[in-house]
Amino acid sequence: MSGQKGKAARKAGNSGRKPETVQDERLQAIILTDSFETRFMPLTAVKPRCLLPLANVPLIEYTLEFLAKAGASEVYLMCASHADQISDYIESSKWNMPWSPFRVSTIMSLESRSVGDAMRDLDNRGIITGDFILVSGDLVTNMEFDKALDFHRKKKAEDKDHIVTMCLSKASQFFRTRCHEPAAFILDKSNDKCLYYQDIPPDNSKHKTSLAIDPELLDGVDAFKLRNDLIDCHVDICSPLVPAIFQENFDYQFLRRDFVKGVLTSDLLKKSIYAFITDEYAARVESWQTYDAISQDFIARWCYPMVLNSNLLDDQTYSYESEHIYKEKDVVLAQSCKIGKRTAIGSGSKIGEGTRIENSIIGRNCRIAENIVIKNSYIWDNTTIGSDSVIEHSLVASGVKIGSKVVLNDGCVIGFNVIIDDHMEIPIGTRLSETCVEKQASQFLDSEPYSDDEASESATPLSDAEPALELVGDHGVGYVYDSDDAEDEDNSSVLDRVTNALTYRFDDMYLSDSSISSVGAKHKKKRRMSTNSAYTDREDDYDDDVDYDEEEDFAVEAVATVERAMENNHDLDTALLELNTLRMSINVTYHEVRSATVVALLRRVYHFIETRTLGPKDAVQKVFAQWGQLFKRQAFDQEEFLDLGNLLLEKTVAQGFEKPEFILFSALTCLYDNDILDEDIVYTWWDQVSQDSSYDQAKTLIAKWIDWLKTADEESSSGEDSEESDSE
Amino acid sequence: MSTDINVVIASFIDRLKRRQISGSYQVSLETLQLLKRFVSAARWSSVEDLIAQLRDLGTRLGKAQPTEFTCGNIIRRVLALIRDEVEEEMASSDQVQKVAEPMISSIFSLLQKPAVVSSATLPSSSNEKQADHPKADLRQVIIQGIKELIDEIANIDDGIQQIAVDLIHDREILLTPTPDSKTVLKFLIKARERNNRNFSVLVTEGFPNNTRIAHQFAKTLSEHDVETTVIPDTAVFALMSRVGKVIIGAKTVFTNGGTISSTAGVSSVCECAREFKTPVFAVAGLYKLSPLYPFDIEKFVEVGGSQRVLPTMDNDRVGNHNRLDTVNPVADYVPPENIDIYITNIGGFAPSFIYRVVWDNYKQQDVNLEN
Repeated sequence: MSGQKGKAARKAGNSGRKPETVQDERLQAIILTDSFETRFMPLTAVKPRCLLPLANVPLIEYTLEFLAKAGASEVYLMCASHADQISDYIESSKWNMPWSPFRVSTIMSLESRSVGDAMRDLDNRGIITGDFILVSGDLVTNMEFDKALDFHRKKKAEDKDHIVTMCLSKASQFFRTRCHEPAAFILDKSNDKCLYYQDIPPDNSKHKTSLAIDPELLDGVDAFKLRNDLIDCHVDICSPLVPAIFQENFDYQFLRRDFVKGVLTSDLLKKSIYAFITDEYAARVESWQTYDAISQDFIARWCYPMVLNSNLLDDQTYSYESEHIYKEKDVVLAQSCKIGKRTAIGSGSKIGEGTRIENSIIGRNCRIAENIVIKNSYIWDNTTIGSDSVIEHSLVASGVKIGSKVVLNDGCVIGFNVIIDDHMEIPIGTRLSETCVEKQASQFLDSEPYSDDEASESATPLSDAEPALELVGDHGVGYVYDSDDAEDEDNSSVLDRVTNALTYRFDDMYLSDSSISSVGAKHKKKRRMSTNSAYTDREDDYDDDVDYDEEEDFAVEAVATVERAMENNHDLDTALLELNTLRMSINVTYHEVRSATVVALLRRVYHFIETRTLGPKDAVQKVFAQWGQLFKRQAFDQEEFLDLGNLLLEKTVAQGFEKPEFILFSALTCLYDNDILDEDIVYTWWDQVSQDSSYDQAKTLIAKWIDWLKTADEESSSGEDSEESDSE
Repeated sequence: MSTDINVVIASFIDRLKRRQISGSYQVSLETLQLLKRFVSAARWSSVEDLIAQLRDLGTRLGKAQPTEFTCGNIIRRVLALIRDEVEEEMASSDQVQKVAEPMISSIFSLLQKPAVVSSATLPSSSNEKQADHPKADLRQVIIQGIKELIDEIANIDDGIQQIAVDLIHDREILLTPTPDSKTVLKFLIKARERNNRNFSVLVTEGFPNNTRIAHQFAKTLSEHDVETTVIPDTAVFALMSRVGKVIIGAKTVFTNGGTISSTAGVSSVCECAREFKTPVFAVAGLYKLSPLYPFDIEKFVEVGGSQRVLPTMDNDRVGNHNRLDTVNPVADYVPPENIDIYITNIGGFAPSFIYRVVWDNYKQQDVNLEN
């Protein structure tokens, strides 16, 4: 519905120059507030990611500020987990005031479990009227959006199939904000048209980093460039067709991995995607590591003019001092404390005598006692830290109480309201939370929404959840959040959990491989904040396990798809569409598709015979007459039909029928009768196969059939066809 | 006050914060437009009330962009205008009263007069009388004053050119370290056109913030038939001995005669010029004069983005080995002793005389806008 509208709008845009001004009037923006990831656990169990403070400003503010500068007129926030918190926040923020530069509204998309779901929901709501900006709620950038928009409009005028402009930012290969979801983009050198996209595994995994590109994609391209030095900050200018494409391809989950790749490799869509490459600062806070990096950059004014002392929030009063020190009003510093470089301190905080703070961000109303060392750390609002503690490269969320002489080692994440007793030492990379955070298979979101703290406390009496008293001390409060537990379980159980979650999500839809692999990837993505923490072998093993053979995986998937189609008696088109999307998402050839279909059909036949519902002949007839049509759209030339014949032979034998020769014979005749297999093809195939000594038993009946065919042929058309059949 | 004007103010503040309005010229004009709307929408019981409201507005604008002084300057100008008006009103009403008084008490009234004015700027008795008719009047007067200010600012370059053109000699070498100043550009072009003098201009490159602007500036000048040379910032000292005059554009001029230049690197150029006894001319519109005193220079100099200094993505400032730092101030403070003359639209002044010009235009009680 909105797709049609979009088309109309596009037509208008193409037909004349003037409508451009019409487009200018309403620039819509969609913010995906949910990342559909669990990387910020356990903090995101309580607060959504986009409300976590970065440099004492909630993340969403950076995105909204960017949109305000970009000149958006309508902003929609797609909320999934913690939607109530987000909408409360927006309602009371300055963006909801009459002088806000745009109209902001929240969309409760509570059922969404992925970007794809959110986009489909968006399509259903029909909000989109023209080209829109799609950003995530954790973007920090000082990009000049006008240039990108101009680029988009220019390209659109040139190429009417242009649907998405991706804004990418240049980065060196080892730049620290580029740690996650690295990807290679293949761009046309002349016009920056994106030809292919491939996500590549992070350099610390053992995956092979190779790209397989279909040469067809490069048809008509003079020169292309292959780049993996781009930070993908997920700022896209999309045409209204984009949600519609998500709607059509209900298995698309990820914007890049599924959508971009899918669109680019699709032979049906014929849409193009362009990349706009900017030099300016743009990054997403997508993991602890990037949180760390972006905070540092922000403090060191890399994102100018968006800086802390421009006081993004109305009640902030930061002022700048040399060496990148920012202080708000009413900060109390003891005379002998030392505030080092790149530090920000929120109002109402008190720093005690002899304390040294460097390279850190301190929130509001913090009580920091004497002789403490805080380095490279992030202390959020209302925390209390006892004297003589050492905090190194850690994150302390709001409301935390840390006793005296506590040591927080590299990479600790202390969740909201945790209490740590005196004299404790927290080992490297520990994550603590106030209440035990369940890690469920269904937890695809940042978390399940907790109504409030008490409820969550009472709701999680897990047997194995014991307060980590050895870490927080006898008077402490805190549970260890173990993000590594996924690795302990073997591959099949991961699959099972995913299957459960997925079936819960898509009632009668099939389990797509892309979601399996992506889920695998998700578990992999757990990171420690520290850049130098060692990765254990166990993890790598796990990674390898996930990387089981894609083709094999496809086979399982596709067979299941066809079987389900037969069982539920879908129409052919649906089944084909499903197969096709599956094929594209995993990027396999038609050979695999045929193979899977053949296997599925034969299994069905086998099933009928086994349960004695039908005789062998009827079974074959029934199945192949109806579903054999699938092959029509899976094989296109002689080569491929020959391949189909081979597959039939091979799989029939493999299936272990009582009389393989009979099944094969019936299947072939059935396909022949339905005009799927040409007689020429049958002959050619037979010529190839008959020489081969394998499967001799299976071929006995076929030989007779071929003979019969040939004679019948000669008799019926003795005239013109005789020469041809003679030559066979 | 109506919510309408509140919305206008808040969005203005937002745009200031977001730097969607930048450059003192644009900021001053936009501030004046805002003030015009503000005054026509505002309701006040007494002039004091209006003044308080305006001061409050000035504080808010100042907080939004602490290094943009023009907002405050403009508001102070308008406040001075109002105060002048009130004083005039007072004087005339006093005169009316004086006429009624017997002539004999002339010596008394002479002695009393300042006491009356200072004890209460607005005696309540006369206030009631004036309550309705001067109010509408005052509004008109203020708006008229604002319009005049707009005119003044819009034509500021003409005034400066008139004065400055005669200062350039034939075959002189000029150096300007502030290529982003439109006043400087227009003034040089005018000097070439009107006097048909042959002079050449050296333009410093202003790395990293101004390089592109400097190149553009040089191109424009050469298109106007002015001999132009772009030099790197590092070459200033070497070339200074041949330079006849240094011309800088000021962003803000303080009471002491010091100035915040519109780009960084100006201070070192002026220091060089002093070494070689080269005269330094600063061009500034009257609206750039600020009644503030630069006590804390660090606060007045804005620090810009680091990415200009070090191309963002080419560094690996990773983890604990973060020893690499960048600082990029976008402006410079030039002390008064390094400037020889200020050329404003109302004439040329020595830095030591600036305070007089400032107090001609501003009122002492408005220096600090916070109520």
